[in-house]
Amino acid sequence: MLISTITLYFYVKSLMRSEVEEELYSTTARVEAALSKNDIMFSLSPLVEITYADLISPEILKDTIIYDPSQNEMEEFRELSIFKEIKGKKYKITVRNLIVESEDILIAIILSYMTIIILVFIFLFYFNKARNNKLWLPFFTNLEAMKNFSITSDKPISLVDSEIIEFSELKDEVETLINKVRSDYKNLKHYTEDVSHELQTPLAIIQAKIENIINGDDLNDKQFEHLTSIQKDIQRLTQMNKRLTLLTKIENNQFDNLEIVNMYDRIAVTVKNFQELSNVQIQISGDVNLPLVNMDPYLAEVLCNNLVSNALKHSNPDGIVKIFASNKVLSISNQGSKALEHPEKLYSRFYRESELAKSTGLGLAIVHKICQLYKFKISYQFIDGTHSFTVKF
Amino acid sequence: MKILIAEDEIALQQSIATYLEKDGNTCEVASDFNEAVYKVDLYEYDLILLDINLTTGSGLDVLKSLKKKKKESGVIIISANNSLDDKLDGLDLGADDYITKPFHLAELNSRIKAVLRRGKYGGDNTITFNEIKVDTKSRTAYVNGKSLGLTRKEYDLLVFFMTNKGRVLSKEIIAEHLWGDNSDLADNFDFIYVHINNLRKKLTGEGAKYIKTAYGSGYKFIED
Repeated sequence: MLISTITLYFYVKSLMRSEVEEELYSTTARVEAALSKNDIMFSLSPLVEITYADLISPEILKDTIIYDPSQNEMEEFRELSIFKEIKGKKYKITVRNLIVESEDILIAIILSYMTIIILVFIFLFYFNKARNNKLWLPFFTNLEAMKNFSITSDKPISLVDSEIIEFSELKDEVETLINKVRSDYKNLKHYTEDVSHELQTPLAIIQAKIENIINGDDLNDKQFEHLTSIQKDIQRLTQMNKRLTLLTKIENNQFDNLEIVNMYDRIAVTVKNFQELSNVQIQISGDVNLPLVNMDPYLAEVLCNNLVSNALKHSNPDGIVKIFASNKVLSISNQGSKALEHPEKLYSRFYRESELAKSTGLGLAIVHKICQLYKFKISYQFIDGTHSFTVKF
Repeated sequence: MKILIAEDEIALQQSIATYLEKDGNTCEVASDFNEAVYKVDLYEYDLILLDINLTTGSGLDVLKSLKKKKKESGVIIISANNSLDDKLDGLDLGADDYITKPFHLAELNSRIKAVLRRGKYGGDNTITFNEIKVDTKSRTAYVNGKSLGLTRKEYDLLVFFMTNKGRVLSKEIIAEHLWGDNSDLADNFDFIYVHINNLRKKLTGEGAKYIKTAYGSGYKFIED
């Protein structure tokens, strides 16, 4: 760019100079012709000056600077002086021509270059932009579609095809992946549902048969004890089944019945039910009319039941379970001997820290799922021998 | 009482029949949808136990055809599905009660008796056993006309015993009857002891010594 600017500058400069010189020679030729014809001395300073000369010298070609009053500045001229003898008289004919100043040429070149560059740049910018937009459109459309993809919704994902092979392949791969993920997810969902469902009938048969055996005749105490122990295990299985189904249902968004639930009232009912089942004392405090929460009433019941029963199960036998309900917050705490070893696993399915046989290991997983569903914040703390759960609505 | 058991699992069907027949009920069985519709159409039953998922059709359709014919049988729906919608659908269609698998036969028996009591066949809202009389409407129990002053749980317990008289009831069954899904919270069943002992004392105080211990840890409501 720079080189071409410099070259162009010198080239234009020399071009103009030779043009000016040519013009000077032709003007002198005309002046000579006029002199030989008319013999009239005329002058048009500074362009043409004719004077008598004493002797004939060789012609002089030079640059000169003359003050131009009309423009009030010094101007650069090219000057040609020749000496001629016409009709016996010796003349000195001086012809001058304005030459374009070199800075002007330079500025003109740079300016025109700049204009061209800017124009080309602007053109290319918009041209590329338009072209890229068109090229990448399928990619971004598909990317957006993937971002909006949710495995839980049955809405089909609509991807656009592209002429570019890579994008087209990407689209095909994404479609295959999504279909695979969808069908796996569906299978898994149905599997949990089906298994829980199918287990109920055999469980019912076992339970019914045990009851008939118990009510039969010749049975001894030992056998009775075994049979009731089986009953207890069947009950555990049943509970586990129910909770797994509940978890699946929450995950499948099958609870869409929204109502304003008064959490204080709700938990008071739970406490009333549980108080006659445990030696552990339960205290409720807080605001009677708060918090009001918009959620499925059945899930509200499950949430309260699971939190309270968790606290009761893990409380010291002579401890007190404290419940506090206030605006937007519900907290439940129980006394325990030591902190959890792995609090981060607290909400995992089937995670138990103590070998308590009566726990299914699903209660808190359900609580966590319910909180996730309604975007409640649940937190756990262990301070001064007290485990506490806080739900922020 | 004449009872139809519409249940496609033969083992379960037979166990229920065995249990109920001991109380002097006549049980008939239907093992699929068509048989159920056929029998319901042809005969009169005091009570129908109806499984929702019959192999060849829905129990709810049997219920619909029953109600269309304006038959007055009591209906208890048995379902493997613990969903509220199914329950509401069944009750909306005119079922009297709904029980989810797996269930205790004692619990089923107790529900059957409750439906029959409320029932259209001359139910009188009372359960009587010798000198004990229970008014299920006002939820009060009397011995020789004298009110026992039972708590809510004691009352539930007495009704459960009386509707399952002569049966061995384990603490597991009793706990589940009284507390449902929360019964797993009751550690070592101390609470059942408390309630049973209180009830026993109140009954014995009036001379009604019918609650007996069976096999060391179970209970039986029976005449000497």
